[in-house]
Amino acid sequence: MILEMNNIRKHFDDLEVLKDISFNVDSGEVVSIIGPSGSGKSTLLRCATFLETIDGGEIKYMGKTAAHTDDSGKAVYVSHQELHVFRSYCGLVFQQFNLFPHYNVLKNLTDAPMHVQHRSKEEAEATAMELLGKMGIADRAEAYPYQLSGGQQQRVAIARALAMKPEILFFDEPTSALDPELTGEVLKVIRQLAEEKMTMVVVTHEMPFAKAVSNRVLFMDAGVVVEQGDPHDVFDNPQEERTKQFLRVFER
Amino acid sequence: MNFDTMFSTMMPGMLRSFGIFTLTLVGSLPLGMIVALLKKSRFAIVRGFISVYISVIRGTPLMLQLLVWYFGPFYLFRMNIGDWRFPALILGFVVNYAAYFAEIYRGGIESIPVGQYEAAEVLGYSKTQTFMRIILPQVIKRIMPSVTNEIITLVKDTSLAFTLAYSEVFSLAKQISASQTSFTPFVIAGVFYFVANYVVAFIMSRIEKALDYYK
Repeated sequence: MILEMNNIRKHFDDLEVLKDISFNVDSGEVVSIIGPSGSGKSTLLRCATFLETIDGGEIKYMGKTAAHTDDSGKAVYVSHQELHVFRSYCGLVFQQFNLFPHYNVLKNLTDAPMHVQHRSKEEAEATAMELLGKMGIADRAEAYPYQLSGGQQQRVAIARALAMKPEILFFDEPTSALDPELTGEVLKVIRQLAEEKMTMVVVTHEMPFAKAVSNRVLFMDAGVVVEQGDPHDVFDNPQEERTKQFLRVFER
Repeated sequence: MNFDTMFSTMMPGMLRSFGIFTLTLVGSLPLGMIVALLKKSRFAIVRGFISVYISVIRGTPLMLQLLVWYFGPFYLFRMNIGDWRFPALILGFVVNYAAYFAEIYRGGIESIPVGQYEAAEVLGYSKTQTFMRIILPQVIKRIMPSVTNEIITLVKDTSLAFTLAYSEVFSLAKQISASQTSFTPFVIAGVFYFVANYVVAFIMSRIEKALDYYK
């Protein structure tokens, strides 16, 4: 089991954003998370990637506990150094790409492997060029982010995350900032990764994509997992009323 | 006194003006960064102290601050330091300009989108690495226009050393003009400041162009 999130609770001031979320991701699985805005999907991803701290529950990667709830009910994380190891297990692709604008594409891909994972320049560059080739943008290695289209930038962002060789890759609405034409090229890359059995969790509004590519779909609303299962079950035969209501919107 | 004599008499003054300018930049550019970072301290007392410092220094004339630095040790603390004129001058300038640079740095740092910090965090960069490799290079590019303004102001502010009877170019211009009843020394001083600022503007513009390799 690559990732286990058990009974996750998270609140921001008075607002309870995650109310008791549990889900697992096994090696090679692609899990899609769908749901309305404010349902907690992004927060769940941010908790999984340690950008946010949970208030209760348990996070385990590869069977090792990164955070758990002690007897007094407080969430306790491992030490800073140990957390560094957990961070190396996960990669995150942001909706807004968040590429480093002062680095060219190649440097965006090689800087972290070299300075965080202490890989050699040769190894980092070889990995980077291979990834850029897979993404179809090897010829843009010397370009700067501002010179690329949104779809290209997001593919660089995916390559940057993959260059760190994570166990699991998270996507936070990777195509929401892209127009329909550019969305296709990014979805194609994610589909390719799925075929290569990359473990992934994708928060998305692209329903046909979620249905086609995932092994499992989670529907979240108001901080809870309302329904989860095989994409064909959830999309074609939703059990819960809220799920039906949500999916109805996409049938227009 | 003919023009050449006036000019050569004023040369040491020009060098002293340049000295104040250089030492102030060497001192206040790093000090300003330290102040900007201290302003984000976890300790409220540190943040409070820095806020007061910035407020007082930016809220009072530099001329007045130079006088406080010079006369303060003796009249406030009964300390007799000896050759205190030049140290007081430089301390006054450095502490003053550091306050302005601190706010420029703060503005630059706060303008960096939080996504940059988050991307760096997920990739595993340490806080120091994030600041030095990701944030600071972007901040430098963003603050260049404001920094240029401050440097141009500094060139002219060096004339305030006149307050402490330090013979930089403006003081000498005043002295020679009085003793020779001529306006020429002021013209020489004026041209000196103008040329100095022209060089500054040229250098800053080249730096901005060099940083323009990305948007």
